[in-house]
Amino acid sequence: MDESGSQLKKFQKELSSGTVSLVLLAVLGQSRQPMYGYQIAKRLEDVGEGVLAGKQSALYPVLRNLEAAGLLASEVEPSVSGPPRRYYRITKSGRESLREWTSAWNATRDSVDNVLQGGVP
Amino acid sequence: MNAPRTIAEYLDQLRAALRGADPALIQDALYDAEEHLRAELAEQPGRGEAEMLEHVVGSYGAPDEVAEIYRDQEIRIQRAIRPPPPPRRRSLVGRFFGVAADGHTYGALFYMMLSLVTGIFYFTWAVAGISMSGGFSVLIIGIPFVVLFFSSVRGLSLLEGRIVEAMLGVRMPRRPPYPTEQGQSLLKRIGAMFLDARTWSTIFYMLLMLPLGILYFTVTVTMLAVSLGFVAAPLIKAFGFDVINISTDSFSYYGPGWAGTVGFCVLGIVLLFVTLHMVRGLGRLHGHLAKHLLVASAAT
Repeated sequence: MDESGSQLKKFQKELSSGTVSLVLLAVLGQSRQPMYGYQIAKRLEDVGEGVLAGKQSALYPVLRNLEAAGLLASEVEPSVSGPPRRYYRITKSGRESLREWTSAWNATRDSVDNVLQGGVP
Repeated sequence: MNAPRTIAEYLDQLRAALRGADPALIQDALYDAEEHLRAELAEQPGRGEAEMLEHVVGSYGAPDEVAEIYRDQEIRIQRAIRPPPPPRRRSLVGRFFGVAADGHTYGALFYMMLSLVTGIFYFTWAVAGISMSGGFSVLIIGIPFVVLFFSSVRGLSLLEGRIVEAMLGVRMPRRPPYPTEQGQSLLKRIGAMFLDARTWSTIFYMLLMLPLGILYFTVTVTMLAVSLGFVAAPLIKAFGFDVINISTDSFSYYGPGWAGTVGFCVLGIVLLFVTLHMVRGLGRLHGHLAKHLLVASAAT
């Protein structure tokens, strides 16, 4: 791989590691029903390449960390057609964090946009 | 590494790629991968396993890529979750008293107190479960009962792991080992539970917890009581009592004076810190024991 390609890859990785928690919280915050890991991965796949430049395996440890922090709750349910699945849903403190993180993200995005568009004198 | 053709092969490769990592991390990673792969397989039942895996290597990641991601994540998790390590002290005195600033010391202290309760509970559960399984084995409810008992052992193993990680700071798995294959017959699955060395090592751990719990609790409480008693010696003296008050027919001693009392107090403080060191050391030892009996066999 050439130099700029690997630099780009590294940058994408850093971006996604910074935003993936927010995205997972948001997906579960919008969903009416609890979702399992695979379902979340597919949902993000539909959204596009941008959010998770990396591999879907990166989702699972993050889900677990969010659960450990009390922002998500999970339970295992047997399924009719396949293997047992671990369903995640957002908790009350998860919703609070989502609100705060969203405004933090908006502030970051706006200021980055400002800089990129030359808004800084 | 050649491309995996079956889920078992993929998991083997992942296990190989994670060799040397923390056994608890390996158990979690394998659980996640198996859940994802089985979900992917169930999504399109018409597709063969090899074909599905070809696709998964692109989306979920090849085994060595996944291993890389988990190792990366683990470093970040450790940094985020753990309290910052106490500053390293150079001097002997600093290291001796520094134990009081280490969060793990108090976690271990609490664990030692708790271990009497959990020890009694685990022991009772294991003994009752084993003997009832033995007794029921001649009846029709024998096998369901054994299965129920074994699953409760797995659940308790995970719970104890959470306690050990929270109190003693030893990384333990957050996910159980993945349930055995769906396709197998019921009898085979029960057989697998019997043959799983970890089921037995967990039961052994549960039995061991009673004597260990009693030992931890007794030693900790005794040492704490003795050292705190010594520390409080000047208080007793200040109220006008004698710290040592012996009187028999042939021999009596009331004392000591203030110098001796302060000496007792200093001794008590030293003993208190020795206790803290001992508790932290016991906690570390117990963490290793728990990891060995509750997790390590999963990784091999």
